[in-house]
Formats: sequence, structure tokens, C-alpha cells
Amino acid sequence: MLRNTCRGWRRGVLGLAFSVCLSSALALSAAAQTVDTGVLTGTVTDASGAVVANVTVTATSIDTGQTRSVTTGADGSFRFDAPRGGYRLRFEAAGFTTSEVASVTVEGTAPSVVDKKLEANDQVNGKPPAQQENLPNAPSPSSNTAPSLADLGLTPEQTQGNAREQALLDKRTHMLKIHQRVGLITTIPLVATVILGPGAGGKSEGTATRDLHVALGALTGDLYGITAYYAIRAPRIKGTQKRGPIRFHEAMAWIHGPGMILTPILGAMAFSQKNNGEKVHGLAAAHGPVAIVTAGAFGAALLSVSVKF
Amino acid sequence: MEKKILIAVLLVALPAFAADSQWILNQNTLTYHVSHPLHQSEGMSHAAKGKGVCHEGQCQFLIAVPVKSFDSGDSNRDLHMLQVTRGAEFPLVTVRTRLPESAATSSTVNADLEIQFAGQTAQYKQIPFKLETHGGEIHITGTIPATLSDFKIDPPSLLTIPVKNEMPVRVDMTWHSQ
Repeated sequence: MLRNTCRGWRRGVLGLAFSVCLSSALALSAAAQTVDTGVLTGTVTDASGAVVANVTVTATSIDTGQTRSVTTGADGSFRFDAPRGGYRLRFEAAGFTTSEVASVTVEGTAPSVVDKKLEANDQVNGKPPAQQENLPNAPSPSSNTAPSLADLGLTPEQTQGNAREQALLDKRTHMLKIHQRVGLITTIPLVATVILGPGAGGKSEGTATRDLHVALGALTGDLYGITAYYAIRAPRIKGTQKRGPIRFHEAMAWIHGPGMILTPILGAMAFSQKNNGEKVHGLAAAHGPVAIVTAGAFGAALLSVSVKF
Repeated sequence: MEKKILIAVLLVALPAFAADSQWILNQNTLTYHVSHPLHQSEGMSHAAKGKGVCHEGQCQFLIAVPVKSFDSGDSNRDLHMLQVTRGAEFPLVTVRTRLPESAATSSTVNADLEIQFAGQTAQYKQIPFKLETHGGEIHITGTIPATLSDFKIDPPSLLTIPVKNEMPVRVDMTWHSQ
């Protein structure tokens, strides 16, 4: 009797440990960044093809949001030794329109070459596009009487761009998109696990349904772990006050989060009791209700933001 | 004596060559509208600042509004909009237009707008606005038929379905003259 209990417990605990390990491994592998570096290089020219020196080239890592800048030399060239991954490049120089390359991948094998042609800044030359088109009442900011941003009393924080914050926003959106997608995928094994629950805990002597229930539960736990990782690790943006459905979404996480930890523990207890031929009793009997509350909170969290973009 | 008369004439005439008048933006509401097959949403800002300078019968206007100031009631959506519109990198939406001073007495005006947003510049021609004059104030309403593609903004998506390209911006502003 005691031996059977131990064996059942061992199977349940092993299943749980496997689930946790797999979850951790998947989450870590998703988060892992290679330390290998590559080379990102290129030459900046103007419209005539002449090289442009003193151009500030800023590379922002799409993965981490980290930025680094270099200045082009007399030959118009620049070079970064950067960790492998995706980067966004920004080219800034006086007299030229600031230009960007949305995505460049740095590989470890061969240098990534980005040659950039900059366009002269018409605004600097006092020729905004509207004026060039000769619209009947087009604005002419070059005029002495045209108001400027300085006339509006805006603070520097309101007028100056922040590439770092933009990179954080990009990373946040990227991570929350994964969070959303994996969360949606998680609902499939979650629902299947809940549906199989009554069969797994029934009086049948067969273990096939129970094993399938455990396997699906483990898969749900793994996917849930990844979903949670991408929500927790998504960058927070300073000065943002949370409003709207996201507050309910996060409140639900305080229910389904602990529930997702408690459910497999109670499940392992129930599993061992069933394998010993016992009726599920004690704390283990709470496995089903806890699982249903957890699934309900997860569904409510999902629905609360699923009508948003 | 002639010298004194000349000075007096110059003193009287000088203001005529200075900036004739200025307009300052008072109350304002700018509302963008985005549409998705499953959902409609609006974001509103009251934080626009603007100034108009009139000279020799022509008024030049500049309006600027921080992208961050748009509030849709959902901070998650606002941050997403801020990201797709590159609002941290290009924190202001600016609108420039030029109108004849006589437009202040009309009930409608068609304006050519130059809008800078998300690092892009787009022009809108002959956009109709309604004007109501109350004493020294003018109340202007209208809708700018902006689209996401005008500013090379990737449309945000819900359940892999992107929002519609149209993003009309409703304008409701009160200007007062100085």
C-alpha cells in the first residue's frame, strides 16, 4: 500500500518536475541570447554618390533595446562589432533628412553591409514639400512670420525624440505579441485537459484517460509558463498609468497564476491516490475545483483583452 | 516743423508694417478613430498647442500635439499606438496651414494642411472646416481624412486581422485673437 502510494507520488512528482523543467528550458531558450558577435558595416553617401563624413549612426538592438552609436569617418564608412541579432539603424547628420533602416540582421559568419544614401533636408534649406508643390494656401514655415515650435511653449521633453524609449516600446510590443499568441495556443490543451478531467478522476480502472489528462496538463503548464514569461519580462514604460481592461487582465493573473502552480501539485496528489486505488480525498479533492477556477480566470483574462489590439 | 510731421507720420505708419494679429489656440479636442471588424476605438487629446500669425492679410498657423497625450481609455492600447506610430521617437504631431485673414469671417474654410507625424510628412488639400465666430473667438470643427499609410504606419492587428487603413481625426478647436 505504502509502496504503491510512493510509486504514484513519484510518477506525479516526476511528471510535475518534467513539466517545470521543460517549461523552464523553453522559457530560457526563448530568452537566451547568443554571445557571439558579428560585424555591421557600411558607407553613407549623399544623393550624388559622394561619401558623407560625421554621420551619427545609431544601432538599436531589436531584442534588447540597447543602443550604440558611431560616427562615419572621412571615407563615409562606419563599423559596429555587435552581438548577433536584429538591429535598427538610424542615420543623422546636419543638412540631411534623418533616415532609418528598419531591420538589419547581424550574423556571426560574414559582415552585414548596409550602404545608405542620405537625402538633403529640404526643411533646412527652407523648401518644405508643400511649398514646392505650390499649393494655393500651402504653409510656408520659411516665412519670418510663421510660428515655430518654440512659440508654443512646449517643453524639451515634449519635443525631443527618445530612441531608447522607442526601442523599449518596440520590445514591449514584440514580447506582448508572443504573450498573446502563446496564450491563445495555451487555451487548446487547457480546455482539453479540463474536458478530460472528469474521465481521469472517474471510477474506471483504465489509466489511458488519466495519462492523457496528465500529459495535456503538463503541456498546458509549459505553454502557460512561456506565456507568463513574455508578459512578466515585457519592459515597463515609465510614467504610464494603467487604465482600462488591462487592469482586469492583470487582476485575473493573480488568480490563474497561483492556480497554475497549485493545480498540478494537487493533481499529482490525486494521481497517486487514484493509482493506489483510493478515492481522491483530502486536499487532492480540490484539484478539480481549483483547475476550473484557474481555467475560468485564464479565459476571463483572455477575453478581457481579446477585443483590443 | 516738417521733421516733426515726418516723425509723427512714421510713428503712425509703423504698426501697419508689424504683425497684424495673432491667434492662440484655447480649448481643443482632437479625436482619432480606428476601426477593426471586431472593434471600434477612439483616442482623444486636449493637449494641442497652437499659434497663428497674421501679416499682410495672410495667417500662418502651427498646431502641435504630443502623441502621448492621446487617451483611448485603455493604457495598453495607447502604448501600442505609441509604439506603432513611433511616438517616442517622434513625439509631436504638427500641423501647418496658411489661410487668408478674411477666412475668419466665413462660415466654412477649405485648408491645405501639412502634417508631420511618425517621422513622415503628409499633405491634405482643401480640407473643409466649419467656423463659428463668437466675439474675439473662432470655433473650428472638421475632420482630417488621415490614413495609416499616409504616415507609413503598420496597422495594429487583433487576432491577426489588421485595423482599417482609415484613421480620421476629428478636430474641435477654439482660437482667440490677440
